[in-house]
Order: sequence, then structure tokens, then C-alpha cells
Amino acid sequence: MVTQTKELFRKYTDEAEFAKIVDYDTVAEMWAHCVKAYADDTAVVDNGTAYSFARLEDDAAGFRTLLKQPETGTRVAIFAANSYDFVKAYLAVVTSGCTAVIFPAHLDETAVFGCCMMFGVKKLVYQPDFEEKLSLVKARRPDIELLPADACSDEKTPMADCDGKTPCAVVFTGGTTGKSKGALLSNAAVMQGTVNGCYGYEKVFGQRYLLILPLSHVFGLIRNLMTSLYTGSALFICRNNKDMFRDIAGFKPTILVMVPALAEMALTLSKKFGRNMLGDDLKTIICGAAPVSPFLITEYDKLGVKLLAGYGLTESANLVSGNPESLAKPESVGLPFPNQELRIENGELWLKGRNMMDGYVGVEEAGAYEDGWFKTGDLVRIDEDGYLYITGRTKEIIVLQSGENVSPAEVETAFNALPFVQDSQVFESENEFGAQILALEVVLRPTELTNLAPEERSAYALKELEAVNKKLPTFQQVSKITIRDSDFQRSPAMKIVRYKHEKNGNH
Amino acid sequence: MKRTEIIEKLREILRAADDRNQDAVSACTEQSRLVADLGFSSVSMLYMVIAIEEEFGIRFENVGAADFQTLGDVVDYIEAKLR
Repeated sequence: MVTQTKELFRKYTDEAEFAKIVDYDTVAEMWAHCVKAYADDTAVVDNGTAYSFARLEDDAAGFRTLLKQPETGTRVAIFAANSYDFVKAYLAVVTSGCTAVIFPAHLDETAVFGCCMMFGVKKLVYQPDFEEKLSLVKARRPDIELLPADACSDEKTPMADCDGKTPCAVVFTGGTTGKSKGALLSNAAVMQGTVNGCYGYEKVFGQRYLLILPLSHVFGLIRNLMTSLYTGSALFICRNNKDMFRDIAGFKPTILVMVPALAEMALTLSKKFGRNMLGDDLKTIICGAAPVSPFLITEYDKLGVKLLAGYGLTESANLVSGNPESLAKPESVGLPFPNQELRIENGELWLKGRNMMDGYVGVEEAGAYEDGWFKTGDLVRIDEDGYLYITGRTKEIIVLQSGENVSPAEVETAFNALPFVQDSQVFESENEFGAQILALEVVLRPTELTNLAPEERSAYALKELEAVNKKLPTFQQVSKITIRDSDFQRSPAMKIVRYKHEKNGNH
Repeated sequence: MKRTEIIEKLREILRAADDRNQDAVSACTEQSRLVADLGFSSVSMLYMVIAIEEEFGIRFENVGAADFQTLGDVVDYIEAKLR
């Protein structure tokens, strides 16, 4: 068993700045400190406007009034794309003692309704142009109070008292079975995750961050937004990823939080167009959510940028470990952060600690815990210096190079809805040129196809499957569909034996 | 600019992106499907859009990944923008 302290990270950070890294029990406690310490500094830049910490608190205080002092732990959904209004509403919700249920912006009308039901949502804050996706909620759950994210009141409401155990956020996770689940994170867990983002590099406070990741992802919400606020830094919200490099040229960020595929893309574009697309002020890239190639670390080092790999989960309020020695140990995901315990059981990493979730919401996940330890599903090893390496996965999630998590079961559900599909399996594969793709194999139910001649069945099925495929979000679409002429291999319990795909690491 | 020239420039952009995909890119045609044939992810789609904007000096409006099924769709868009 391994337990960690923050002292391991002291030597990597400027001395005066390291002294400023302190723990808070709640987001409200942290935010009250930030508003006092950085009042006139820029907190957020969005759509051409810079908002100071004081202004952000003023607007959040107005929004708290609209929430009408609900009971502690009331679930308030936030359904908005990355924006200043999202940040304002999120801060207002969590500093009112409520729990922010973060809905991914891509949810459709049915999913929004389903998530409201599954997560026990009492109020829903929405981006005004998402209103058409609320019609089912309006019709069937008129008791859920709807609040447009751009609303504000002139009357200000102070922050509410709560403690570290108060649930702070429900963040969606890819899940291993069926639909996505929500991980319930306490205030203490969110704060530990936030502070973990401060360890392992020299200049931490007063930085300039760019927000590219969605705030519905724990890496975006905690490492990007929360750590930026905690450190009195300015956060530039990139509204459209395709404008990322124009935004970078104007804002000149000093730290970027990215998935490896994006870091790789920036490197390729910089080489192709002969200039550093990430700007000359950039000192650090925090990279995670998918395996980081050592090549990226050495290439960015040549540009004077430290690329630090990390490892985390939604269930651990983001970061479990971060690598301050990325050049010396490029294949490691780093040293575990403080206030958590790690145990390795049959190669699998088990976790306990202040940053860990208080369980899933809406679904029972049997087997997620054992003896009070959360089983990550990641196979790991730890070297003699305490550095962690991911060696494989025991769970079924597929991590794409873009950092997006695909739950095969979730995608299969869409195909299984076709009456002629008896069983299906979505798995990771490679195309003929070695690129990572998602593939689908299907076993047909002949009784549902009796109106077609046997030789016509496959063509018909392929056409219908392709139509379903096109309706899926792009990252869930499969690139190859095969109709099987025999059943899948099955376990003694008659469950499909899933295909295994060799991988170097994972989320 | 002729369609064949646009496609050749697109090939150059895509070749720079992924070493492992050189053969697929060299063999691609207007009918090549971005996801199924070229293994595109959301990030490669983003890369392509940014690189096209740099290379051709055009700005994409708010188009989504679903608007481009094949390379030919991308060529159509560039052609219309250059007109």
C-alpha cells in the first residue's frame, strides 16, 4: 500500500508559491479566499469580455438569489456549453450548498429528460439556445424549475455554509456497462482534485489558461476551470475549438490542459506551417485523459515547453497522479498526489482517499468497490522511485486517441434496438493502414427478416445499421460493420466474450 | 483553383497529420469516406479544418463533422468558399 504527502512535490515548485498551496474543505471557502485575494484580477475572458474575480462573484451572488436558497444538496443540472454563464451558474450552484449535475452539451431532448429523472434534478440551468431540448422535461416534469443561464438578479445572496462532505458535483463518466453514469463528488473531493492540479511544476499562480476541454468532462471542470480559479489565474474560454490557435495568438496562454491528440495536432501544424502555433509564452502543457507518447514530451521540450503527463478518473475528481519528471521517466503517469492511498491487487489499481467519489448516482454498480477500495479497472505497476505506470485495462471502456471514452455497451444499445439484431459487439480495431477505429460485429435474428430472401438480408441489415450509425455522435460512430454468420464466443454464463485489444495505457 | 489541385493540397495536409495513414491518404479519392476509409476522429476532423483555413486562407462557418461525409464534400465546401 502506498500513501503520499505533498512534500514529494515541493522541489518542483517555486518556494513562495508552494507555500500558497493550501487545502480548503469546500469550494465556497476557496472561492471566498479567491475573491478577496484576486478581486481585480481577470478570472475569465469570454466572447471578448474580461470578467474580474469580484465581478464573477457579483454575478454569481445575483444568480444565487434566483436559486432561492434551496436545501443543502439540492440537485441543480447545468446544461450549457463552455461559457462565462456556465462558470457563473456553476459557482452560484455549488456555493449555495447545492450539487451541480453537469449535463454534457451534446445531450438530446430524450437524454436530457432521462438524466433529469435518473439524477433527481430539482432545478435546471440551461443555455437559452438549448431550450428546444427541454420540451420533454417541460411537458412531463413541470415541477423542475428551469433557469436560463444568462439570467441574473440585482439582489445578491451570500454563499451558504456547508462542509467538505456536502455533495458538490455529479460528473458523467463513460461507464463500463449500459449507459453513462454520474460520479458524485463531495466538496472535499473537488477541492483535493483542484489542489492536485498545483503540484509538479514551477510557476503555479497568476497564470493564463485556455479552456478547450468541455466543462462536462472532469479534466475540463476540475483541472482546467477549478485549478485556474484557485490559482488566481485568468481563463480564456475558447468557444469553438477550430479557433483555438487564433485565440492562443491573441491571449498567449502560459498553461494548456489538453488531451494528447490535440497536443500532437498542434505539433503537426507547427511543423507544417513553420511556426509555434501554441505561442511563445507557453511554459507547461498538462496532458491526460488518454495515453501520452514519450515522443510528444521530447518534441515539446525542444520548443521549451514542459509537457506533464497525468492520470486520473472521473471517480477520483480528476488527477490521481502527475509526472514532474516527464523527461527522465517519459512512460510514467507520475507520482500519486497527496491524501490518497493506493493498493495494487492482482495488478489492478485500487484507490481510497479524500479525492474519491461518494459512489455513482442513478445506477448501482456492483463490483466498483471491494473492502472500501475503489477498483479503477486499470492495470498498473509502481517503480522503485514510486512512479506509476499504466500497463492495461480490465474494464471495457475504449479510450480514443482524442481522449473521448466510448462505452461499447452504450453504442451496442443503439444497434440492438433494431429488431433484427440479436447481438452485437463494438470493439477497438485498426483499419488496413494501422489507424485506430471502432468496429461493429452483428449476429442477425433471422426470424425478423423472413420477408426478405436470404441473400438480401445482409445488404438490408447493413443499410439499416449504417443509418443508426450515422445518427450516433461522431466519436461513437463505428468505421466497420461486419455481419457474422455464427454466434459470438460465449462465457459459461452465456455472456459474450469480449474481444481484447492490446494497448499501452489508458485513461 | 481546380478540384484536382484542391485534392492534392488536401492530401498534403493529411499526409503531414498521420504517418501511419500515408497509404490511405495517397490512394484517397473524392469518394473516400472520412471516418470509414480514412479513420478520422473528432481531432483529425479539427486538424483538417484548421489546416485548410491556414492553407487556403478561408474561414469555416459553423459546420459540424456530420456535414462532411466524404473528401468530395470537403472539396465542395472549399470550392464554394474560394469562389
